Amino acid sequence: MIRFLVPMASGFAAYAAMLIVSQRLLAGDPDYSTAIRIALSLAPMAPAAFLCWTIVRSIGRLDEMQRKLQLEALALAFAGTALITFGYGFLEGVGLPKLSMFIVWPLMATLWVIGVLVGRVRYG
Amino acid sequence: MKNRIRELRRQRDWSQSDLGARLGVSRQTVNALERGRYDPSLPLAFSIARLFGMTIEEIFEPEQE
Repeated sequence: MIRFLVPMASGFAAYAAMLIVSQRLLAGDPDYSTAIRIALSLAPMAPAAFLCWTIVRSIGRLDEMQRKLQLEALALAFAGTALITFGYGFLEGVGLPKLSMFIVWPLMATLWVIGVLVGRVRYG
Repeated sequence: MKNRIRELRRQRDWSQSDLGARLGVSRQTVNALERGRYDPSLPLAFSIARLFGMTIEEIFEPEQE
């Protein structure tokens, strides 16, 4: 568990730090070129990519039952996110407020956690 | 699937973690196996049988259809 938590915590800390720095730089100097503004706005994605690599590597190290549990949880997250985001897309067409794309990942992560909890009850 | 894993483990005074370490799986997987909540793959079933010095059929009891 420690082997998973330490890189995850480091990755999240790096992501938060990079996000704060990039947002402050972007807000502080509007004369940056477009290329620099793009680079700064995407800078938090580097630690985010490290987080993704950590998660994929951790799943690769799981035993067969844990992999099955994760597969089922990810399937729930994938299908649930598709249903909810498409459903809300239709609702936007009838006047509900448009939401940012930033909402998709927290939604998927929440459904993933729910899927893992359901799996733990099923296999526990 | 019903099985004798818990009985065989206790005969050897192993904890679930001990058995998991010997099989290369997590304690949670051992618990799920013992409770019949998870059926092992064929390679894992062979590993379990080999560890206890028995056949798969002597450890696992398929559900009656």
